[in-house]
Parts: sequence; structure tokens; C-alpha cells
Amino acid sequence: MAEPKKLICVSCNRELEMKKTDFTYLGHSFFTDLPRCPGCGTVYISEELVKGRISDVEMQLEDK
Amino acid sequence: MAFSHELVAECLQFEQAFCTAACPFSLDIRDFIGKLQQGRFNIAYKTYQNATGFPGIVSALCPEPCQAVCPMKDAGGAISLKALEKAAIAHARSTDPDRYNVPPKEKRIAVIGAGISGLACALRLASRKYRVTVFEKSERIGGHLYELLPEEIFLTDIALQFKFEQYSLVTNTEITNLEDLSFDAIYVATGKGGRSFGLTLGAGAPFATSHPGVFAGGSLAGADSMTAIVHGLNAANAIETWLKIGSMHHSWAPVTTKLPHEVVRILPSELIHPSNGSIYSKEEAIGESKRCLKCCCDACNFHSPLMSYFRKFPKRITEEVQVTITPSSLDGAAKLATRYISACMHCGLCREVCPKDIDTGEFLLQSHRTMRRLGQMPWAFHEFYLRDMAFSMGEAGLARLPDGCETSRYLFFPGCQLGASNPEYVIQSYRFLLTHFTDTSLLLGCCGAPAEWAGEEAGHAEVIARIYNQWEDLGRPVAILACPSCAHMFRKYLPEIPVEFLYSILQEKQGWREASFSGSTASVYDPCTSRHEPLLQDTIRKLATGAGFALDPLPMEGRMAECCSYGGQVAIAHPPYAENMIAKRIGQKNTPYITYCSNCRDIFAAAGKETFHILDILFGIGNGRDNGLSVSDRQRNRLELKKRVLTEFWNEEWNRMESDKKLVIPKDLQEKLHKNHILESDLLDVVEYCERSGKKLYDPDRNSYTGHRQIGHMTFWVEYRLAGEGRVELVNGYCHRLKIEE
Repeated sequence: MAEPKKLICVSCNRELEMKKTDFTYLGHSFFTDLPRCPGCGTVYISEELVKGRISDVEMQLEDK
Repeated sequence: MAFSHELVAECLQFEQAFCTAACPFSLDIRDFIGKLQQGRFNIAYKTYQNATGFPGIVSALCPEPCQAVCPMKDAGGAISLKALEKAAIAHARSTDPDRYNVPPKEKRIAVIGAGISGLACALRLASRKYRVTVFEKSERIGGHLYELLPEEIFLTDIALQFKFEQYSLVTNTEITNLEDLSFDAIYVATGKGGRSFGLTLGAGAPFATSHPGVFAGGSLAGADSMTAIVHGLNAANAIETWLKIGSMHHSWAPVTTKLPHEVVRILPSELIHPSNGSIYSKEEAIGESKRCLKCCCDACNFHSPLMSYFRKFPKRITEEVQVTITPSSLDGAAKLATRYISACMHCGLCREVCPKDIDTGEFLLQSHRTMRRLGQMPWAFHEFYLRDMAFSMGEAGLARLPDGCETSRYLFFPGCQLGASNPEYVIQSYRFLLTHFTDTSLLLGCCGAPAEWAGEEAGHAEVIARIYNQWEDLGRPVAILACPSCAHMFRKYLPEIPVEFLYSILQEKQGWREASFSGSTASVYDPCTSRHEPLLQDTIRKLATGAGFALDPLPMEGRMAECCSYGGQVAIAHPPYAENMIAKRIGQKNTPYITYCSNCRDIFAAAGKETFHILDILFGIGNGRDNGLSVSDRQRNRLELKKRVLTEFWNEEWNRMESDKKLVIPKDLQEKLHKNHILESDLLDVVEYCERSGKKLYDPDRNSYTGHRQIGHMTFWVEYRLAGEGRVELVNGYCHRLKIEE
């Protein structure tokens, strides 16, 4: 497992932490823990996550 | 529009083969042959045995009416079915009949006559464990078979088929009065000219007589030898119906077929003869069985890109789609068909090849609209294309009368993709038109096809109304079109607007510069939307030959034209499907293609196929190779086109508002963005948003910023570095469909 990427929210000057993040797609709602700014809540989603799990979930919901 | 559920009910998918309809036994020959093709002789024999009752007798006596109707009869020789039947018997692991472990039944049936029809009836009933007694006036069984076959053949087969069955045989006993018999049912099969006991035969139902519980058939009823067996086998079923429910009405009729001959794709091959002069070897039988075309109506499934890819026929499609679009099932539990509803290229080929004119594409379009109305079609499948359409009509759009004209007799409508492919196509064409018709206006926009394909009814109606209004403002001119898809849309939704093709005018006015392709051979690739434009297809061929090309026709051209994969804009909904189609289309022939749809041209060229747009040839524009354009380049080309036409034809400078930032994007990232349908302009928008709002993340290890923004429904991510003087180095860009609830 690679070391989590260190990211700093420019607005709040704070390092991101894993926090609950809500998603919706095609009428379905769900959540997962993702790096977010503890101050303003700005979220980070890596391309790896987009190409992997997120893409799978999108496909499943489109065909569900 | 040729679609209705009643019409789908007439689909010929399940029609029997000609041979089965000709076969007295209605043998499912496609099934029998299919088993032989796989070398499964035993199971093929079982199929044959079940259908005929006495396979040894039938394979010896059958006059093969299948031969006369076999489409292969003029293509190397009708399939030698009798020889295959004999091979199935010869190579079966065991020719024993099945032994059924069924409890004995109390019902007693008398069969009068031990000819082949009576024995067939007795065999079926005995195998179902009824108590069967066969009365025969002579001393022997077999009836008229003695006149037709050596007795060892039929007696051996009869003995074999009755191997595990019990029945009583009473010979030398002529029944003269049915009242003397105390049985639950009687089958009268006394043969040609035999005693009929005063019964009326065929009384209201097959094998029924005027007397309840008494059935008759075989040669007595005028049947030939084969039909006599068929009567016996099926009379047994009628008798069983009588015994079970007391009804003389049993539905039976020989199989017929509505299969049209024209749907059969004949592949000539030479008849295989048994090398030993009598029975095929296994290999010979497999070889002969493989000559069989297994005739069926599968024209739509064979030709339609969607039906062949998803392996579905209209009936199955309508069932699955109906379940998918019916509101009661729209709880997400049964959206079986969502993806392939979005995968229809709307090329019209399924209807074109259907002998019943079933327009499955129209049904899919209607269903697409329904899902869209109900908000159940994933927006992601078409949003990119709908935004691109809006761009074509908005920022890149233009509707102008020529300088000095207050109205126009002609209007050039090049469509949204021609200028996207290369502005030169449009500029040179418009320049040519103006030299012949000075009052030709120009309309840069979109015909609305993307909204149509997306099932977006309101959006589509808006586009159509907009074009109509622009056309009225420009003086109700004749529309000169370059794109067959635009023509298709105009004819369908703007029938008031008279339409001509640019290419006809080019042909008429000889409006091209000298270009000689003498000695070159090419194939004209007709775009699918030219299917019902034979004059256009002919014009293109004249233009191509006029330029010096020798033409080598493609198998699928003219009314059989196939979609290049652009139709329906299916590449996002189903990328592998679109790729599969492209590979098939460019594989038709090795010759370079000449087409007259810029989408066909660019898609094929991008896949490595040398493809010219006819305007490449006439105006000397492109070289038939991939122009390497990304989705962003195609939008930039449209802006460039607008700028250039304003300058050249209206002497205006277009000062478009542009961002003070400029993205610098490495080549490999540009290609990645293109493949993912991500516009650089959207990513620039995200960067500007991040910079304006400060909502961005800093990665100290990479010294880069990352941020995101939702545009439309899609969320776009950028990773970038600021390089000074407004330059933004784009490190990465990607997008997802899930919405982040922030």
C-alpha cells in the first residue's frame, strides 16, 4: 500500500484527513471515507479511485 | 413508423426450415443437423427416432420431399438428409429405444390393423404403458411394407423399437364389428381399401371419427407410407387426450413455414457422397451436415450491429425493453435493456432487411425517449454530445445572409461535424457555392441528431424550431446539405425545407479543381443515412470515377449501407461495442474508402483505414489519413471556421472572449483526455474556478494543485502547476459521474 498522499487545503492551510463523504448517482446515495479538509470539507479523489472503484460503481448503477 | 407489438408478433425468427415443413414427420432438421455437425451421432439418432418411431423403416423408405425445397439444391446439391439419417443410425452408440420407467396404466386400447400405422400408434401408446391390443386379420405384421421393403429391414426395426414395450398381438382375427370390442379407445388402421366400419373419418378433428373413442388414420385415410406412420404416432396423442379428458378434439397439423426464401444466405458447396458407396463415415456425415444452412430468418440478427453484438432478436428485445421502460419496473430492479437501448446506432438496417418491415430501431428510439422522460436513462451516455451540440449552435453557430443580400434562394448547411473535421471543407464548399449562387446564405449549427439519438424530445424540438426560424429569416431558401445525417433529419422533421446535396451541385457545375487519381482503386463507403438516397450514392460514384478512381464495390453498400459507429453516439454508453463495429466496417475491403460523411471518414481514418471524404478528392484537402483531432480540436476547428468565414465572406473580425489563462498540455495527456471525452475547455474552466475560489489542494511533493468542479452533471478534476504569464501546466485531468455531496 503506498503512503497516503500528503495534501494541504490552500484555503484553510490544513492537511486533509479521512472523513465521511456522501455521493449520489442516478437516484442512489452512498458514502465512504475520503481525504477531506477538516476546515472547509474540500474533498480529494485520486484518479486511481476514479478509474477503479468509482468507475465500477457507476457501471453497476447504470445497469441496475 | 413501422413498429408495433402486433408487427413483432409476426417476426419470423421461429419459423421452421423449409425441409422441416416438407418433412412428413416435421423432423426438426436444424436440430438434427446441428447435433450431427458436432459429431453427436447418438443424440442425433435419438432425435430422429423420437420423430419417426421407426427410424430404420423411415430412412429406407422416405422419398425425401426435403430435397425439393432445400435451397442448396442449386448450390452444389440438396443436403443428403436420408444419407445423414442412415449415418446417424449407423454411428449411434446404441440404437435401442429408451426404456421408460412409467407405471402401467389401466386404460385399454385396441388397434385394428398391424400395418405400419397401427404399429406406430401401438408403439407410442405402449411406451406410455397403456394396455394395447393389436388385431390383425392376416397372419403377419407389417401390412403393405411387404410390397416396399425386404422384410428383414422392417421386421428388424419393428422388433427393435418394441424391444422394451409390451403389447398383445392377435393375428388371423378380422374385426368386423366395433361393438364387439370392449376397449377404452380404438385406432382403426386397416390400410388402403380396408374396413372402415361405417365411420366418418376426420370428423371435426385429426384422426377423430364420428364415433366417440374411435380414431382412424393411415392408408385407410388415404395416407402414403410415411404419412401413415405419422398418423399412427399422432393418433396416439389424440387417443391419450380422449382417455384423459374425454375430448375427441386433438390439435395436430403438419408443420408449415412462412420463412421467405430471400432471407437465406446461400453458401454453395459440393454434395458429399459416401466413399464406400452406401453409408457416410463419421467425417463424411459431419462434412455433409456442415453444408446445411440451417435455414431460418435471422436477417436482422445477422446485419443489425446491435442485434448481432447483443445476440438478440426483436421479440426478445421488445420483451426486455418493455420490462425496462414500464414504470412499475422502474424501481431499478429490472433495467435489463438500459445499455442496449442506448447502443442503437439508428442506422435503419434492421428494418431494411426485415421481411416484415419490423423497425426495432424505432422501438428503441421511442423507448429511449420514454426512459429519458422518466429520468431513468443515465445522463452520462449522451451529455457530452448534447453539450457539443449546444456548442455547435451557440458559440460556434452562425446564420448569415451573404453581404448585400436581403434574402437568399440557397442556404448552405454543412452540419456540425464537417467543419469540426476540417474548416477547409466548409470554406471551399461555400466559396464554390457563392460563385454559382451569389445569394447563398450560411448556417453553421447542428441538425439536432444528437438530441434525437439521446431521446431528448424537448431539446430536439427546440433545435428543429430554431432551424426552421433561421430558415424563415434567411428567406426560406433551398437547403444545400453536405451531410446525409443532416438530410435524414431535415426530411424527417423539417419537410417544408427543400433539400439538395452539395455533391449534386458539384457534379452539375463541375466545381472541383483538377485532381487526377487515375490508376487508383477505391471503394465508396455509403454512410448509413444515405440508405434511401440512391441519387446521392450515384452522384458520389460519378464524382469519384470522374476524379480518376476505379471503384471496387463493397459488400455492404447502397441500401445495405452500415453505420460507421457514430450513429446514435454510442461510444460513451458502450465503448467496446463501438470499437467492434469500427473494426468490422474497415475490414470489408483492403481498398481505400471514399465516403461523404465526415464522421465515417474521421472514425475510419483514426482506426488506421485510409479514407477520403469526397471533398478531400474534389478540393484536394486531406490525404485520407488520420487527422489526429481530439474532441477539443474538433471544437477549436468549429471556432476557427466561424472566425474564418466571418473574415472571408463578411469582412468581419471576430474577437471572441478568451480566458487570460492558457493550458499547456503534454501530448500524451491530450490523447488521454480525448479518449475519455474530456474537453480541455472544461478543464480550463475548473482551473479558473479553483484559482478564483481558492478551493484547491496543494501537493508539496509534486508541487502541484488539484481541484474539481461539476460541469453539467459530470465532475472534472485537474492537477496543474502555475507557470507564470497566464500559463497553466496541466499535469492530469479526469472525471467521474458520481456527484459529491459537499
